[in-house]
Amino acid sequence: MSARDAMQIDPPYDSPTYKSTALRAPKQSLIRVAPHPLELAGPTFSRSFAKESEADLTTWGKSAPLGEKMILVGRVLDEDGKPVRNSLLELWQCNSSGRYAHPVDQHNAPLDPNFLGQGKVLTGDNGEYRFVTIKPGAYPWRNHPWAWRPAHIHLSLFGNAYAQRVITQMYFPADPLLAIDPIYNTVPDPAARERMICALDLEQGIEEEALGYRFDIVLGGARATPVGI
Amino acid sequence: MGNRTPSQTIGPFFHVGLKWEDGDKVQFAAAGEKIVLTGCVYDGAGTLIADAMVETWQADPAGKVPGAGAAARAYGYSRAMTATDGRYTIETQMPGACTGPGGEKYAPQVNVTIFARGLLKAVRTRVFVAAVDAVKDDPLARAAGGRVGTLIAARDAKDPKVWHWDVRLQGKDETAFIEF
Repeated sequence: MSARDAMQIDPPYDSPTYKSTALRAPKQSLIRVAPHPLELAGPTFSRSFAKESEADLTTWGKSAPLGEKMILVGRVLDEDGKPVRNSLLELWQCNSSGRYAHPVDQHNAPLDPNFLGQGKVLTGDNGEYRFVTIKPGAYPWRNHPWAWRPAHIHLSLFGNAYAQRVITQMYFPADPLLAIDPIYNTVPDPAARERMICALDLEQGIEEEALGYRFDIVLGGARATPVGI
Repeated sequence: MGNRTPSQTIGPFFHVGLKWEDGDKVQFAAAGEKIVLTGCVYDGAGTLIADAMVETWQADPAGKVPGAGAAARAYGYSRAMTATDGRYTIETQMPGACTGPGGEKYAPQVNVTIFARGLLKAVRTRVFVAAVDAVKDDPLARAAGGRVGTLIAARDAKDPKVWHWDVRLQGKDETAFIEF
């Protein structure tokens, strides 16, 4: 994939609609250099790094958290559609009323003593993963007047090579806040933007208990051709 | 065009999900020369960034890719989070020099990925933990040209195990980041 195509998928660092980029976006051009041998390899996490209980965010407290219980399933794939196995996937989110269990979050929505919003798994042989959680709420932020973030779940992925490392956000279908969200809309290509939206998949849910959603994640990776100078 | 899932910012609340116990202490299969890599992360106004996450990945002291090993946490990898002082500190071992598939000579270096609120995609680069004249033939040093000075850690004058490296996301002496 060319650098130009890549620029259509990832947001530009300098995205004025998202105000926090103003003083943090690098202004100089990025250095083009062939990958270091370590970038084509990656850290190896053992299965014991993610306990089975860490895939279920609803059993952390003394009782069930408030909110709409959901099952999130999906596969982690490379750009050729091959499964990315045994790779670390970490997740964090706010609670159902739109508040993070984090001291910096000043939103006056209630904390939920039974919800921390933290999970992790290692993908299986088909690149698959499964989390049990609750649907996060939308919340206001100070980027601009009447700014509200659409419901989203943060996902951190390692893939099988350092070059595949990415952190993204997963959004929900038919959310009217997507159209006005600066962060979601920093992705230039509309089709790439929509790849951040999960799909309702009822049969992955639990009958009379939890809604099912599916979200497949495609990792880039080693640059196709070395660009060493 | 590729079908990748796009990158999005880590936001300000990532500590909820991404803290690792002793994440800033790098584990290796064997003992080596202990070093500390430390510095501050600054924005374009020269203000310390209190909500950055710094990850490092490096060769072992022999210059090899750290393998799976017995530890639950991956060998050779670290994760540190800056606080109000903008500082990250990583306890690790001196990475070995290594040779690329085309015979490229790589000076001792640490691969670095930095995430933060306001960064819609991580910034990535490599920092040299070596003397200035030991890096001049490294492929990145050549590619970075006049900006290579932003990628060379400085050995502490009093404590030789400590290496200082500040990161400037923007502005004067902006750190040279690599295209990924």
